[in-house]
Amino acid sequence: MARKILRGIPVSVGIAIGKGFFFNRRKGFVTPRLVIPKEKVQQEINRLKQAIATVEQELKELVGKIPAELKEHEAILNSHLMILKDKKLFGEAQKIIAHQQINAEWAIEKAVFKLKAIFQKIDNEYIRQRMQDVNLVADKVSAVLLGSQLQVPHISERAILLAHDVAPSDFTSIEVDKIMAFATVLGGKTSHAGIMARSLQIPAVVGVEHLESYAIDGEVIILDGFEGKIILNPSEQELAEYTQLSYRFEDYQKTISKYRHLPAETIDGYQVRILANVEMFEEVSVVKERGGEGIGLYRTEYGFLNRNQLPDEEELVEEYLDLASIMYPLPVVIRTLDIGADKTSSIFSSIEETNPALGLRGIRFCLKYKSLFRTQLRAILRASVVGNLSIMFPMISGLHELLEVKKFLAQVQEELKKEGLEYNPELPLGIMIELPSAVLIADLLAQEVDFFSIGTNDLIQYSLGIDRTSKYVSYLYQPLHPAIVRSIKHVVDVAHRAGIEVSLCGELSADPFCVPILMGMEVDSLSLTPQAIPGIKRVVRQASMENCKELLQTVLNLKDVKESNRVVREKIFSQFPEELTFYSSLIGD
Amino acid sequence: MEELSREVTVLNKLGLHARPAAKLAQEANKFQAEIKILYNDVEVDAKSVLDVLTLAVPMGETLTLKAKGEDSNTALKELVSLFEQRFGEDK
Repeated sequence: MARKILRGIPVSVGIAIGKGFFFNRRKGFVTPRLVIPKEKVQQEINRLKQAIATVEQELKELVGKIPAELKEHEAILNSHLMILKDKKLFGEAQKIIAHQQINAEWAIEKAVFKLKAIFQKIDNEYIRQRMQDVNLVADKVSAVLLGSQLQVPHISERAILLAHDVAPSDFTSIEVDKIMAFATVLGGKTSHAGIMARSLQIPAVVGVEHLESYAIDGEVIILDGFEGKIILNPSEQELAEYTQLSYRFEDYQKTISKYRHLPAETIDGYQVRILANVEMFEEVSVVKERGGEGIGLYRTEYGFLNRNQLPDEEELVEEYLDLASIMYPLPVVIRTLDIGADKTSSIFSSIEETNPALGLRGIRFCLKYKSLFRTQLRAILRASVVGNLSIMFPMISGLHELLEVKKFLAQVQEELKKEGLEYNPELPLGIMIELPSAVLIADLLAQEVDFFSIGTNDLIQYSLGIDRTSKYVSYLYQPLHPAIVRSIKHVVDVAHRAGIEVSLCGELSADPFCVPILMGMEVDSLSLTPQAIPGIKRVVRQASMENCKELLQTVLNLKDVKESNRVVREKIFSQFPEELTFYSSLIGD
Repeated sequence: MEELSREVTVLNKLGLHARPAAKLAQEANKFQAEIKILYNDVEVDAKSVLDVLTLAVPMGETLTLKAKGEDSNTALKELVSLFEQRFGEDK
């Protein structure tokens, strides 16, 4: 195989040299083809029947939810239900499994192929097109089958994981310690795959368009997490160069980590608190080790994802108690469930929305599923008797919503009191500022809470109207867009005027080009992935507040984001030349 | 057991397209009887929406419904009435 370079978007720094293995490919790209031993044939047929039953259930639920004005859609779903029961498709697939002793996915592919041959001969264009419905139904069943594969491809040695896409929930089934790095076809600068890679401290490149066409399982590749390159079949010279680079990176990391336990204080004596964003409980232990002064964002989604049953109250109480006591006396901000959009749970997969990012997510989801919300609130309140916990609500869009949440929280507190269960009645309460509406009414919201945390990932996405995971528009994800800089500045100013603290927990907090600007705004704390804490601390320790303020003023006066990017890059580079060799930035060229 | 049969004409403007085909198969599945459709010397299973669909019967064509089984009489009656009512479509 010839040497080839594939390009993507670097989302986590580092170099990996190793064998690549596919974790998954696009559905329909390659169907797993397996021979089934005779004694397992019935089991395989049952697996297929189970998958059909699952899809049938899903379709029936959908039919039940269709409003009367969409009768046409109901007819389509009904025809899908009929196709699902049709012996020409899945009846045939079952026969194929039995006679040819092959796996269900492959059998479906063969049955579909047979039907395709029949449909192609029909000279009625409209009916010929109905093959699409057959494909759709077959795909649904195959998707369930692929999902029901109990075994994730076993990785026998440390490898570079290749995938069409990885979801946060996948990381609970992957043997994380065997992954050196990963590359995916989908994904943009700030997609969840990147967050996961950074929290695992492994290099990653996403948006690698032709990965599935060129990469071959088991062949050596170089993954360059600085420049976003995948080198297939590298030359001897490249192998030598990249090995060298990875050593240099290791040295650099050793250097910065020497300073990691010192406070983040500028040379002119201004301090900012550096907190950690934590994805999952397992990460908590690395926070202190990396120099984190607390947890500014503890995401609680992980405990709810990738499971068939919701966690019960006791389980959550235990998790939050452990969290609080491990970190004590350092502060921990627990964010309530921010489920929906790209973070969904199999338990809620029946919710279908054309635009999930603008749909039932974050606090809206919790206010709809109040019993679930109650369980989590009770657990957080009960855990608040130890340690230094705060509670934070995501996706607040207006005052009414916030008041409803507060009322519900008070109600839950009342319940606990009646049951004689202890909680901290003074538990600090904060909200995420991540919607443009919240920015504009920050003064009103500030009257009702103890702190703000600006979630820049979503704020940028919602303000600029772009999907951060789309590789086609992620170039528009510009943190220094004047609208974003002004929004953040406005929220910080309003919070300080109201006498409350404001933290920033988006990816900007880990961006060495942006941190000096945020410092200039006098943000109280920055919350970032633990991996980036040592580097950011070092940037702060070498900066001066005077320069930061000056830089902020310059940026505020600039009218265009391209100009801002250029100026900031130049200024930061001249101040921290060697610091930035190994940083990737959200700021475009 | 004796096989019953009835001739029916497709009145739907688009012929026996997806929606009628699904309805026909859906209805046919409610009966125990074995139900077949004969059209242009091709015989297919009325309980299979894909079979019905791939017959691609246009409007105005006549086909034969055949049923064998205990409830074949009722089955044919129901199915014929579906054809006559254009499967609930306006045209």
